[in-house]
Amino acid sequence: MADSDDSDIVDIEGLTITYRTVYGNLVSLNSVDFKVKRGESVSIVGESGSGKSTLGLAIVRLLAPNASYSSGRIMLDGHDVTKLSNRQVSLLRGTTAFMIFQDPLNTLNPVKRVDVQMLEAIRSRLKQEGQPFNEESAYKEAVDRLNDVRMPDADSIITRYPHQLSGGQIQRVVIAMGLLMRPKLMIADEPTSALDVTVQAQVLELLRDLQRNYQMSIIFITHDINVAHSISERMVVMYAGEVIEASPTESLVKNGLHPYSQALIASIPTISKSEGKLTAIAGSPPDMISPPNGCRFHPRCPHVMQVCTVQSPRTTVKDGSEVRCFLYG
Amino acid sequence: MRRPIQATVTTEVATGTVAAGKGKTTTGGWRFYLGFFMKDKPAFGGLIIVAVFVIWGALEGLMQLLSLWFPHGRLFGHPYSWALIPSNPFVLNFSPSYKLQPPSLAHFPSFLFGTNVDGQSILARLMYATPHDLAAPIVVVGSALLIGMFLGTAAGYFGGWTDEVIMRLTDAFLALPALILAIAVGVLLGGGFTSVLVALMIVWWPTYARFFRAQALTIRERGYVESSKLSGSSSLKILIKHIIPNSIDPIIAYVTLDFGTVILFLAALAFIGVGLSLYPEWGSESNFGLDYFPTFWWWSIVPGIIIGVVVIGFTLVGDRLQDLISGRMTY
Amino acid sequence: MVSSIVLYLIRRSINAVITIVLLLALVFILLHTIIRSPEGLARVICGNPHCSNSAIALIIKQNGLTNPLWVQFFSYINQVFHGNLGIDTFYRGRPELSVIEAFLPITLELVVTGSALGILIGIFTGSIAASNRNRAQDYGIKAVYLTAWSAPVFLVGFVLQLIFAYWLKLLPAHGIANAFLTPPKVLTGAPLIDALIDGKWVYAYSVAQHLVLPAFALAVASFGITTRLTRASMIDALDRDYVKLAYMKGLSKRTVVWGTAFRNAVIPIITLIALTFAFSVGGAVIIEDVFSYYGMGYFTVQAIYNSDYPAILAFVLIIGLAVIIANLVADLLYAVADPRVRLT
Ligand SMILES: Nc1ncnc2c1ncn2[C@@H]1O[C@H](COP(=O)(O)OP(=O)(O)OP(=O)(O)O)[C@@H](O)[C@H]1O
Ligand code: SF4
Ligand SMILES: [Mg+2]
Repeated sequence: MADSDDSDIVDIEGLTITYRTVYGNLVSLNSVDFKVKRGESVSIVGESGSGKSTLGLAIVRLLAPNASYSSGRIMLDGHDVTKLSNRQVSLLRGTTAFMIFQDPLNTLNPVKRVDVQMLEAIRSRLKQEGQPFNEESAYKEAVDRLNDVRMPDADSIITRYPHQLSGGQIQRVVIAMGLLMRPKLMIADEPTSALDVTVQAQVLELLRDLQRNYQMSIIFITHDINVAHSISERMVVMYAGEVIEASPTESLVKNGLHPYSQALIASIPTISKSEGKLTAIAGSPPDMISPPNGCRFHPRCPHVMQVCTVQSPRTTVKDGSEVRCFLYG
Repeated sequence: MRRPIQATVTTEVATGTVAAGKGKTTTGGWRFYLGFFMKDKPAFGGLIIVAVFVIWGALEGLMQLLSLWFPHGRLFGHPYSWALIPSNPFVLNFSPSYKLQPPSLAHFPSFLFGTNVDGQSILARLMYATPHDLAAPIVVVGSALLIGMFLGTAAGYFGGWTDEVIMRLTDAFLALPALILAIAVGVLLGGGFTSVLVALMIVWWPTYARFFRAQALTIRERGYVESSKLSGSSSLKILIKHIIPNSIDPIIAYVTLDFGTVILFLAALAFIGVGLSLYPEWGSESNFGLDYFPTFWWWSIVPGIIIGVVVIGFTLVGDRLQDLISGRMTY
Repeated sequence: MVSSIVLYLIRRSINAVITIVLLLALVFILLHTIIRSPEGLARVICGNPHCSNSAIALIIKQNGLTNPLWVQFFSYINQVFHGNLGIDTFYRGRPELSVIEAFLPITLELVVTGSALGILIGIFTGSIAASNRNRAQDYGIKAVYLTAWSAPVFLVGFVLQLIFAYWLKLLPAHGIANAFLTPPKVLTGAPLIDALIDGKWVYAYSVAQHLVLPAFALAVASFGITTRLTRASMIDALDRDYVKLAYMKGLSKRTVVWGTAFRNAVIPIITLIALTFAFSVGGAVIIEDVFSYYGMGYFTVQAIYNSDYPAILAFVLIIGLAVIIANLVADLLYAVADPRVRLT
């Protein structure tokens, strides 16, 4: 796949994804555009339910069975993921893009030992590369990767079953497994939110170093603006299934353009002072099955204008930021 | 551009959940439920079967009660008990043109399902028997709900020895094949519909006890009980107050499926001759035809099919209700 | 590691023993609710309707039938453990246990064949349905298992008889084997196994032919239950993140469905095996009646018509024991399949 080396690793255009539910169709992504350059680290932030996980899962084509790709394309390393056969997609998974899922505690197969699961990964990679599998060297590679993710006592950890590991250990095993696949892109869906604060910091540090050492691209999905700020070069803000702003991290944090981004940034100090979880932004998140007309944020927007209630804003570029709001054109 | 990593939970942006349908979208009201069933053709068919069965069973049950109270009352010139039925389900008619006739349009609708060796219309007998098949699930499942709720909540609430004893008892009952136990109890009680009902009531409660115990345990864990103790109200009262609303959703689907199962059990017991009386039963009708099988196949087959159709109705509805509870994965 | 699995099994066995004692108490209470007078009980034990009064008095004395109930309960348990289940009044004077010895293996052979068939097919179809959720295969399988689940067992029996025995004339409708053949030496009591051990091939073939339809009728019901549970269990497993992770490793759908999801989904199904077995024993009572298959179920139906209470209770007891043993086996398999139980 050397043919596409200078193109973006991920290039999504006009992606719309719908979930069929008991209550009606839920448009979880609404014509989303999203790009990731090679070696770049991007984070996706947004409230719960804004469609962050859906976007990540769509890239590796692991959406729930009631989801459908309604329109748009997803170019992953030069291949349109929505058009490939099951077999072709399985060749892209792992070696091209690897995703770490949201809930670490359920990520490992409970009935298989860690070493078995890690060797499975190596065997699969070697098969894709057309190389022979050697049990001994594979085992050594697995232990090495566990050491890479700074797993203490890797030799004994690797012989355990998942229920004998802690949440932080499981998360490290999963990351190590990702490294075994040698992916060009790592998608990490809130890899730290289920861990306690000190472990969170370690895992983040680790991911950042790994990205540098392995020259991977990283998509980092998070609720936490601080985390996003510290780990990524670019930030993408989602609201109700739409990308409403995509900017370099520094400029977004210093002066976010979209009223929602501004509200997010403004809420940070307030929250950390009072030490409690507050609703950052006045108003409640939208009903995704029948979202508001016009700009989806308008019921909660302090700058709402007449046009916002009837028409949906288009993406405009301003000072290197992409923003979707009538305030900017 | 190395920045210090400060992963703190307190900077989380999100608190609310974007309504995944459950939020503001209307989920209640009969319109929603009707629409929900209409979207799934088989389930809608099941709903119609159940409706026909329930309405007929209730109506005919009422007529039989009327007949009991006013033995000389007449409607359309017949006793109440079979006034709405094509022909007298008990009359004997041994003339060759009535005996063992195959399903046909003759004497419409009397011969629709054929006749038995006594020249009785099978359709009439099945229609006459319906109230039992409606009453049994209501009584059996209703009592199982009550007993199960009582024992299960007690086990979960008191814990310790009470829990241990109740759960071992539940296990002992679950270890036995329910049908076998029901046969034994039904026979020992001396037969008749009432003893069949009692037998089924005795074997039916354990699953419900387990369910309510689990409910009580989760609710205790969530700490409602502790907080209610602080506020001074009786904790058992609070527990029950929380158990009932929390149990309604999962139990409705299960109860619907269970209605079908009770009907199957009733049929099975009647088939092997437990609790028989002069009153026709769907299961026993099928068994009476056993000696005339396969030449006069309809006598055995038709009652079986009717049972199957009714049970399928409950199964389809229960299955659909389970979809609703298990939530978003279905449409 | 070994010790924790042993501990688990000990715990389970203690539960089983408690369950057995409760079961005995249940049967004992039932027996004493029906027959209250010591004379009545003595008549049951005597087994001969023309038992003389002096004989009755002797039995009452020997068996302590006037003792307090709890003393009688312990002597009842004692007797049961010595294989004495009371005397069967219908099969005049034949001890209960020998009647059961003659009939039980026949039924077990039928039930095991039928439920194994149903469980195996059900596990397969349930998995297929789950891994093709909301597609044609799923809907098709769902239609079949909902029907199988809802049809009364005897209807299934009748329909099978009608099609395969009377229309197509492929298989016999009644009995255990061709009555004109000489039966094999009785070793296990299970006709097919005995015939095979004895080398009576013609007889074995005849038994197999007679077994097909009733076993299939039993299989239909257990197929319905198993498919339903497997489908639910597989769907649950397929939605888990570990399945997605398996896909992330670049494994093919087949490897993921059978190697990862199925391996996890099968764990709750193991418990189902004991349950299905119990359920099929109930079904066997009806199926044996329909197919004139002279096993334990047929024996029970006869006992019902003869109001032969001790026979019915003996049957309940034996079946209860069989199911409790099946449960223990399931517990063992469960521990083998799930490391979370095995190693704690
Ligand atoms: N399988 C599904 N079926 C139906 N709706 C779904 C499904 N998965 C997600 N959704 C809905 O799609 C929307 C986006 O969900 P998604 O999981 O992508 O959000 P998220 O931003 O990752 O949230 P969180 O921060 O809570 O993980 C939500 O409204 C969610 O309820
Ligand atoms: S488009 Fe209008 S409502 Fe939407 S964010 Fe911009 S100003 Fe607010
Ligand atoms: Mg998410």
